[in-house]
Amino acid sequence: MRHWFTTGILAVGITSASLASLVQAADDFPTEPIEIAVHTSPGGGTDTTARMVALSTQEQLDSNVFVQNKKGGGGSVAMSYVSGKPADGYTLMAVTPTHLFTMLRGKSPIGIDDIQGVVRATDDPIIIMARGNSDYETIDDLIEAGQSGIIKWGGTQIGGVDHIAAMSFANEADIQISYVPFDSGAEFAAALSRGDIDAAGLNISETQDQIAAGEFRPLAVMAEERMGALPDVPTLAENGMDVAFSTVRGYVVLKDTPQERVDALEQAMLAGMESERYQEYLDGIGLDSASIAGAEVWDKQIRRMYEAGEATMTDLGLLE
Amino acid sequence: MDPILTGFGILADPISLAVILLGTIIGVLVGALPGLSSSMAVALLLPFTIYLEPVPAISMLAALYCAGTFGGSITAVLINAPGAPPAAATAFDGFPMAQRGEAGRALGMAAVSSVIGGIISLLVMVLAAPALAKIAHSFGPPEYFALAIFGLSMLASISGKSPVKNLIGGALGLLIATVGVDLTTGVERFTFDVPELYEGISFIPILIGLFAVSELLSQSDVIDQAKERINLTAIKLPSRDDFKQVWKTILRSSGIGTFIGILPAEGSTMAAMIGYNEARRWSKNGDKFGTGEIEGIAGPEAANNAATGGSMVPTLALGIPGSATAAVILGGLQIHGIRPGTYLFENQPHLLYSIFAAMLVANLVFLVFGLAGAKLFSRISLIPRTFLWPAVFALCVVGAYGVNQSLVDVTIMLIAGFIGFWLKRYGFGAAPIIMGVVLGSLVENSLAQSLIIFDQDVSRFLGRPVAILFFVLAALSIFYKPLFGAVHRMRSGPTISQRGE
Repeated sequence: MRHWFTTGILAVGITSASLASLVQAADDFPTEPIEIAVHTSPGGGTDTTARMVALSTQEQLDSNVFVQNKKGGGGSVAMSYVSGKPADGYTLMAVTPTHLFTMLRGKSPIGIDDIQGVVRATDDPIIIMARGNSDYETIDDLIEAGQSGIIKWGGTQIGGVDHIAAMSFANEADIQISYVPFDSGAEFAAALSRGDIDAAGLNISETQDQIAAGEFRPLAVMAEERMGALPDVPTLAENGMDVAFSTVRGYVVLKDTPQERVDALEQAMLAGMESERYQEYLDGIGLDSASIAGAEVWDKQIRRMYEAGEATMTDLGLLE
Repeated sequence: MDPILTGFGILADPISLAVILLGTIIGVLVGALPGLSSSMAVALLLPFTIYLEPVPAISMLAALYCAGTFGGSITAVLINAPGAPPAAATAFDGFPMAQRGEAGRALGMAAVSSVIGGIISLLVMVLAAPALAKIAHSFGPPEYFALAIFGLSMLASISGKSPVKNLIGGALGLLIATVGVDLTTGVERFTFDVPELYEGISFIPILIGLFAVSELLSQSDVIDQAKERINLTAIKLPSRDDFKQVWKTILRSSGIGTFIGILPAEGSTMAAMIGYNEARRWSKNGDKFGTGEIEGIAGPEAANNAATGGSMVPTLALGIPGSATAAVILGGLQIHGIRPGTYLFENQPHLLYSIFAAMLVANLVFLVFGLAGAKLFSRISLIPRTFLWPAVFALCVVGAYGVNQSLVDVTIMLIAGFIGFWLKRYGFGAAPIIMGVVLGSLVENSLAQSLIIFDQDVSRFLGRPVAILFFVLAALSIFYKPLFGAVHRMRSGPTISQRGE
């Protein structure tokens, strides 16, 4: 009798347990570790941001969130890696403008229509800057100089976001630019202050102190709205130019990922990024919570930058 | 005095001291393992340092950086597999010494030179950081181009082998450095549609291949020879006479390393190369370099560790990282809300002294660790080849894979290994190839950038005094010997004829 009783209890226990797991399968996501594929080696801005997001997100979930470095090919190694994974929400990919341009050049197994945005983690608009003691007082001065002569402009590698942004601006403003590529933002910031170049597209995070000290003069922001940190600096949009580029980092999943999982990820990541730690991180790199955005805004932004990049790269002859 | 006291106060705080020690130990370990670099370790630790106060966090990373640069020399000496790129030049003479049964002497010398180089550069950093930052700031593409040319000027004589073969090896290195997307044109070169090659061939797999794998293949030739009797000299530390011989080299390399470290974007690897070159140039035994000269260890080791202190100068004072690891530490500063730049020293002077104190402790800790370890680790050189080399090979594969978690890198390592083995048979050394790879992209990119800045007018290099200085040094370095030789012959010419009379 006692034996039967125990078995009964056990049976009921097992049945209810399996029932519970069946019910949970629908909305209990995640149950496994989540990875974020990053296209650089450890240590750069994209990698560090991803690690901060991973740390903040995993506090919101029961799962571990980790960063997987898949370096190479301007993001194409990471994109190949992600495209080979199931669309189950367990694999996120960090996306920057570089990825979009690599897609445009046809160097990636996936295209813009194969991904969907989840959240944006940083948004650092490119600001056109000149030396504080230069003759370029306003963006119009720079444009005038570029129409009568050639502006030496510093940025990162050819075909990257700085180059595309500079050339988009040159196209819209109808000026001549001689583009000098450098390895990093810090290097061309130094070149600008030495006077080796006339202007550069820099981020606020790299140049706050120089702007405050009057060493650099911000002329215009490549964004639709003025920046909170630089309320007096006009946007290119105000000057009638449709040029908006920023050093932006966010996360995407494959298009076929179930919507409820995308929503779950979005919620967890947004909540994670609201944490004090992530906010301190943003503050440390010179940004604020305006950087953070949900799926809708971010997805739109990716597509808009993709189209803008396509137009410029066609003009530049970078696309076959 | 107050900021100094506050800064050093970090050593009185047990938690801070503990994390500095932890950073040092992790640094030596990851430095010693090929494929794990200190920049990677710093990057991986970065998010966790957020739980610490800013000053101990940055101190821990700085300590790790120092120790990692030293750690690389351990494997470079023992198994010809530099644990990190800055230790590449240490393998040139370190491994031949270990093979001769003098591993302990080589390791001990590496530890002592590293510590002296490190401490000298720290003193310079703390005494003159703001002033030195100005020098760093004045270095633009034309100056880098001239510096790289100066580096390449020693190519022909970098190892005792034939100058022509050295130049051919150097050209091969330069060719390897062209792989990937060209910075100034965006054109893909030699990538063969392999995305992993798009950003260039990674340095570490080449290093492991050319040194360790090619050595493994050479060793397989001699595997049947009876192992020489274990000689206990292997664990002997360097003697007083050794230090008498190398103290000038250590001082010179410390100066070179500090200077190169201060230059933004130039790291320990280049410092070690130039430190090695200069050690060879000024040594009485220059011709024997590459065969196990103790000055050939002191030269690069003092220089690469001096570069760690040096590279903190532009990192802290300008926000321009002086090396790959310093770049990650810069990220760490920003995460903690510390904004590097000229204003840092005015606003938070104690931070500089804390970092100084942490790096000083790191240097002292790995001096003890290095000297005690030298006796212990040198026994590895006594392991029979049949056991040692297969284990080394496994380490090589893991190391090459570990950098980017990429099998392409393992393939590159194997190819480099076979090429290195084959070249060695025909009398080509690895040193000039490595030199070409290290300097290749710098020489090319800085020239292309300079020309755009100069509107394609080469004569405008003449307007850059620092660049001219390095061009003159490069010319002297190439023509000194032939010119000196000619003058010497002219002088001694009459003497001979006089004697004939």
